[in-house]
Formats: sequence, C-alpha cells, structure tokens
Amino acid sequence: MTDTGVLERLVSQVGWQIRRRRAQFYGLRGLFYGALVALVPLFLKDAVGPSAPLAAVALVLAGALAGALVGMWLPLARQDVARIVDRAFGLQDRVATALEWAGRPDRSPLVELLVADVTARVEGLESRRPVSRLHPRELKLLPLPLLLLVVLALAPAVPLPTGTLPALSSAEDSEAPEDRETRALSSERPQAGKRELLERAQMMERNLGARQGGTGGTQAGDLSAFFKDTALATQRPDFSSFLKKGDDRLRMLEQVDRLPDLRRDFTQSPYKVILQKKKELFGGLRPDQVSPQKLRELLEEMERMGRKGGNWGGETGEGLEGLEQGQTDRALEAMEKALSKMRAMEERGRGGRGLPGGREADRRSGRGRDGGAGDSDIDADFGEGSLPGKGRSQNPKGDATERLRAMPYDAGVEGEARAGRKEGFDTNLLGKGASVPSRLHYMGVFGQYRKMMEEALAREQVPRDYQAQVKEYFDSLEER
Amino acid sequence: MGNPDRVREFVEAFGRLKAEVQNVIVGYDEVISNVLITLFAGGHVLLEGVPGLGKTLLIKTLAAGLELSFSRIQFTPDLMPADIIGTSIILEDGEGRKHFQFQKGPIFAHILLADEVNRATPKTQSALLEGMQEGNVTVSGAPHPLPSPFFVLATQNPIEMEGTYPLPEAQLDRFLFKLRVTYPAVDELNEIIDRTTRPGEREVRRVMTGPEVVRFRELVREVPIATHVRDLASLIVMATHPDWEHAPEMTRRFVRYGASPRGAQALVLGGKVRALADGRYNVSVEDLRAVARAALRHRIILNFEGEAEGVDVETLIGHVLDQAEADSRRGKEVFLR
Repeated sequence: MTDTGVLERLVSQVGWQIRRRRAQFYGLRGLFYGALVALVPLFLKDAVGPSAPLAAVALVLAGALAGALVGMWLPLARQDVARIVDRAFGLQDRVATALEWAGRPDRSPLVELLVADVTARVEGLESRRPVSRLHPRELKLLPLPLLLLVVLALAPAVPLPTGTLPALSSAEDSEAPEDRETRALSSERPQAGKRELLERAQMMERNLGARQGGTGGTQAGDLSAFFKDTALATQRPDFSSFLKKGDDRLRMLEQVDRLPDLRRDFTQSPYKVILQKKKELFGGLRPDQVSPQKLRELLEEMERMGRKGGNWGGETGEGLEGLEQGQTDRALEAMEKALSKMRAMEERGRGGRGLPGGREADRRSGRGRDGGAGDSDIDADFGEGSLPGKGRSQNPKGDATERLRAMPYDAGVEGEARAGRKEGFDTNLLGKGASVPSRLHYMGVFGQYRKMMEEALAREQVPRDYQAQVKEYFDSLEER
Repeated sequence: MGNPDRVREFVEAFGRLKAEVQNVIVGYDEVISNVLITLFAGGHVLLEGVPGLGKTLLIKTLAAGLELSFSRIQFTPDLMPADIIGTSIILEDGEGRKHFQFQKGPIFAHILLADEVNRATPKTQSALLEGMQEGNVTVSGAPHPLPSPFFVLATQNPIEMEGTYPLPEAQLDRFLFKLRVTYPAVDELNEIIDRTTRPGEREVRRVMTGPEVVRFRELVREVPIATHVRDLASLIVMATHPDWEHAPEMTRRFVRYGASPRGAQALVLGGKVRALADGRYNVSVEDLRAVARAALRHRIILNFEGEAEGVDVETLIGHVLDQAEADSRRGKEVFLR
C-alpha cells in the first residue's frame, strides 16, 4: 500500500478551509435573507408588541447561523478537494490521480513514482491556503435590509389598516340638526371643503346669464379670459382696444402649451349646471332637510330653461305645485324626472344624433316598420341608460340575419324614373329613411357631392364626353 | 531496471530523438513533438501541408534517428495494392520445381512513408488499412505480420486536389494524429536557407532502437489517469457529436459526424506520452487540451452548412474543449468549480 499520508493531510486541511469558507459564504447569504425576514416583525410592531426588535435580531442571527451551518455541513468529496488542491498549487492533477490510484489493486508501478513525486512536491509547498474567500451576490444588497431594520426599529410603529371602510358620513350624522339647517341655508358662503364646487357653479351661472361687461369674474392666470371677450359685447367699439386684445390673443396662440381649454364652456351644459346646483343644494343633507326656498329657485330656473326648448316643463310645474302644497318629496321627485329629461336631451345633442329626421333619432324614437313608442319613453330610457352599467343596447342581439331584418333601412333601394331635363331616377329608401322628410339634408348634401364631383373631374383624367354627362346628371338632380 | 530509471530513460530518449530531428528540421517544434508522441503511442500520423515544407524530410530524418527499417512509397494514381503489400511470384528451385513465394512489399518496414497518399486510388489506399490497424497483412489467405514497431507516416497535399482521392473517413480514423505543417517563420526560413545551401550535410545519429521503442510504448500505457481527466476526454469526444443532448450549438449546427471512440483513445494515449515526456507520471487536463486538435481534427466531418460557412475545425475543437470543461464543472458547488 502506497503511503499517501501527506496527501491525505493536505486534502483534509484544504477540506476544512473549504468548509470554513463555505460557512462564511452561506452565513452571509443567510444573514441577508434573515434580515429580510426580520423586517416583518418590525413592520408588525403594533401586533408583535415590544418584543419585535428582539424577534428581528433573533431572526437575523438565526439566518446567519443557519447559513453557516449549511455551508459547514454541505457534502465535500475527497476527489473534489484533491482537484482544487491540484488547481490551486499547479500540480497538474497529480494529487487527484495519486489519491485515486494509490488504493487501486490494478495500480501500475508508475503510481508509486507518482505518489513519491507528488508527496515531495506537496512537502515543498510554502502556503497551504489555496481556497480564496468568495462573497455571495447578496452581500452587495445586505446594507439595505440592515439599514431598514435599524430605521424600523427606531421609528414608531407603522399603522396597520383596520380592514373596514372609513365612516365618511358619521361625523355629519352626529351633528345637531340645527347646525345642518344653518349650513344648508348658508350654502352660498364659501366653505373650505367646497371651494372648487362653488367656483364652478358661479362661473356656470355667469355663462348662462347675460354677459355683463368687465373681466372681474376671471381669476388671475385664467387664460380663457382673453377668449371669452365678455367686455366687448356691451362696450362701444374701441378699435385700438380691440387691436390690443387681438395682439394678446395672437401672442397666446403662439404659446401652444398654455392655450386655454376652449371646450370647457361647451361642456358646461345646462344639465350639468342644474346638476351642480342640485348637488350644492343638497350638500349631504337628507331630502327633508333641503331648503324649500332654494329648491323653488332651482325648479324655477329649470322651468325657464325648459321654456327655451326643453320638454321637462310638466315636471317642473308639478314640482312647484308640490312645493306650494308643502310636499317636498313630490317636488324632489319631479325635479329628478326633469333632470333625467335634461340629461337625455343633452345625450342626444352631444352625439350629434339629435338632428331632426336623422336615422339615429328615428331609431331611438322607435319609429320604423313597427311604429314604436313616443318621445317620453325614449327620454326615460336615456335618462337611465346613460348611467354606467345601466344601459340597454339599442342593437338587437342574436343571429346576424335577424339583426339585418331588424334594421332594414340600408338593406336595399329601389329607383323610380321621373321626368326632368334629363331622365333621372329617384332613389327611395325602403326603410326608415323613406318616412323621413329629408329634403333639407338632401339639398345640403347635394352641394357637397357636387363639389366633390367637380374636384374629381379636375383631378382625374376623365374623357370630356364623360365629364359632360356627369355634369348633366348633377344638373338634372339639382332641378328637383 | 527500476521504474524511475525507465521513466528517466524515456524522457532522455524522447529528448535525444527530438534533438536529432531538430538538428535537420528547422522549427516545427510542435509537429515534431506530436510525431514522436504518435510513435510512442503506437499510432500513425498524417502530415498535411503544401509542397516544400519539409514533411518528407522530417520523416526521413526521424527514420534515420531510429535503428529501424524505412520504406518510402510515392503514391500515384497507377499504384496498385500489390505494389504496397507485395505479391506472390513463381520461383524455381534447384530441382526444377516451381512454387509460389511471397515477395514482401514496401509495407514490410518499421517506418513507412506514404508520400502524397491522397494521389493513389481508394483501392490502393485501402491496402494500408489492415496493416495500420492490425499490424499484419493477408495475401492469398495467408497472414503476414508486419515488423514491430510499425509506424506509418503519410503526407498529403491540401492543394492541387485535381486528380486526387481524398482519404475516406474510415482510413482517416486510423491515423492517431493529423498534423498540419504550416509555413515557417522568417527567422526559421533564414535558418533553413543557411542549412541547406551550404556545403556539407548534417548527419543524424541513431539514438533509439526498435525494441526500445516497443518498451517505451508499453511504459506509456502504464501512466495512470484520474477519473475526472478520463471523463473529460469522453466529454470532449461526445461534444463533437451533433446528436448528443449536451452538444454545443456550434457542433449541432456545423458537424455531420463527430469523433469515434478512437478519438478518445487518441486523446488519452497522446496525453500519456506527453505527460511522460514531460517527466510526469499522470495525465492532466492540460495534456488533453494539448493533443486535442491533433487527435480530433480529422475525425470531425462538417456538414454542408459547415463547409459552406467555411467553419474552421480548429476553432470548433477549441469551442468543444471549452464546452466540455464547462460541462465537467456544471452542477458543482461554487467552491468546487
């Protein structure tokens, strides 16, 4: 048996070095993860109590200790250590080969020489610490959890969510009724929590009313003041002033990023104004706490607006009657109905579908082959249907053929010969379009088409004879 | 003679023989070392290089340094197998009786120089096969053993491929190493000019006998190899196979056939001789890396894409070596890699 004692001792020494390095390596890794886990009790300091810092420290230490133990006791094969020794000392696999072959029965005489050679080389080694220290990747991040630990340990407890929704109305409910009454009566006074609402309401009122001169109603920095031009409406023409304002406008137009939102006034529809006033009036009060006087003013305003083209006059009248009889609930109910109608009307206007005689209007009104319901029904539908999640699609669902049958207005056309300067054809829509007085639109659209035709003739290479024919066709149409 | 003396004797003999060859051949240190490694590993070597680089001179010098018989066959397209192996001729004895007698061909020599081996037809090339692998030839059903040691050194020219017959893969595989003889450097070229254009010839001393070569071949096989080094040799060979599940991407893409088990044998045997010549008693990973290109370059057959892309087999082998070493460390713990 070849004596490999020197080699065995060297491998054993290096093996312990590896275990120690491993313990450091995995200990640091365990420290990092222990620190991460230790953040939990410090976050839950309220729940854990005063022992939270102790628990955190214990977790950090436990992580480091567990890592070190794991590193220490990880399996370590002798052959692997021998290879590390060979690499570290540049022994060209001598130690690994010698240790492996020394115990083999089929070893050759050269193995004796190999063992003797490598033993001599090992005994001549000066340093026997070939295993360098390695650091885990987590070491770079270790200061973060440790710092967090210190901060959390010193900081007050983090408040925990209670798990219930905040009682937003409890404070108001607990107030005395007379206070609410007072607040309702003095709702026009600016209040800290409702400043924005009040400002918007005043501005809307100004827009609805006659625009009196002066720009005192605008705020500093309100760029839309330049464009509202309320002063010029009532003042005598002052050309130099107009030029000055015009210059201001041009300068503003150059500042594209500061241009005012010109659409804002358009979006403040009568419905929204009334809705705003209604919210302002209620202000979190119960219906029986609403000021009857304010409610009357609101209904009267709605009635005035209804006279300009709205169809909610009946509702506002009913509401006013209810107020006179002291029936606030009835007045409120009537106001809600009127609001719904205002909303429906605005919806129609916004979509561009409220044009008289339009397809969409007809579709909504239910006029078609099967007759259909009246206006009041549509309004009720829109008042409700515009709310999110409460809509009712106007399109029938189901089989495509059925849907086509349900909307036949573009299903087909038929022509009818008529006399003109040239023979022409009337195109009559079969569906809903046939019952609509659309001549006005026809004339409007005809002008557009004629213009497009002329542009196309100028742009495209159309033979002259064909051009004449096309023009004559349009002339014949115009005679109608 | 004790083992230490045998090893010392081998190291000295190896060095002496190399010095004798280098006495005539300028440069080519690695080529000469690999030729000697092949000699002591018991294999055969294929030298590839353009004409005029001294391939034939190198082999003749080596043969001159050994007390061994030497034959040279210039391979031509009209060369026949019988011209290599020999043939049976009718002889008449003193009593007037005629009988067949086998006349040995030039293959019956210790050292055979097959010059420009790719110029002969495959039929003639195949005449070398049995002799190279088995160490004997069969003529008219009768085996004729070749002398020992039997060492074939073939040369081939990579250019002027018209009218040549590239060696088939089976025959290429029988060469332990394939060595590339490249152009010498400027200072080496100057030395070549000085040596060859002056009067007088350098004499080569015979420094080794045939029995010594055989004995050294036996000694080489006693060199131990550690399991992890042997495993690495297997991994290197397997990494040349495109169908192997862990084959590197380059192999999968450009290789049609990888190295045979003879490739692994060549790696280990070559590593053993190199280690012993270096005075070591074991094969190391460095030995495998040193002989890998010579042992594998003719055993890797590129596919069409590899040929079309002009993939260099040497580069591919380097990639395979890196991949195999990475594979041998894969899965090891961080301190054991």
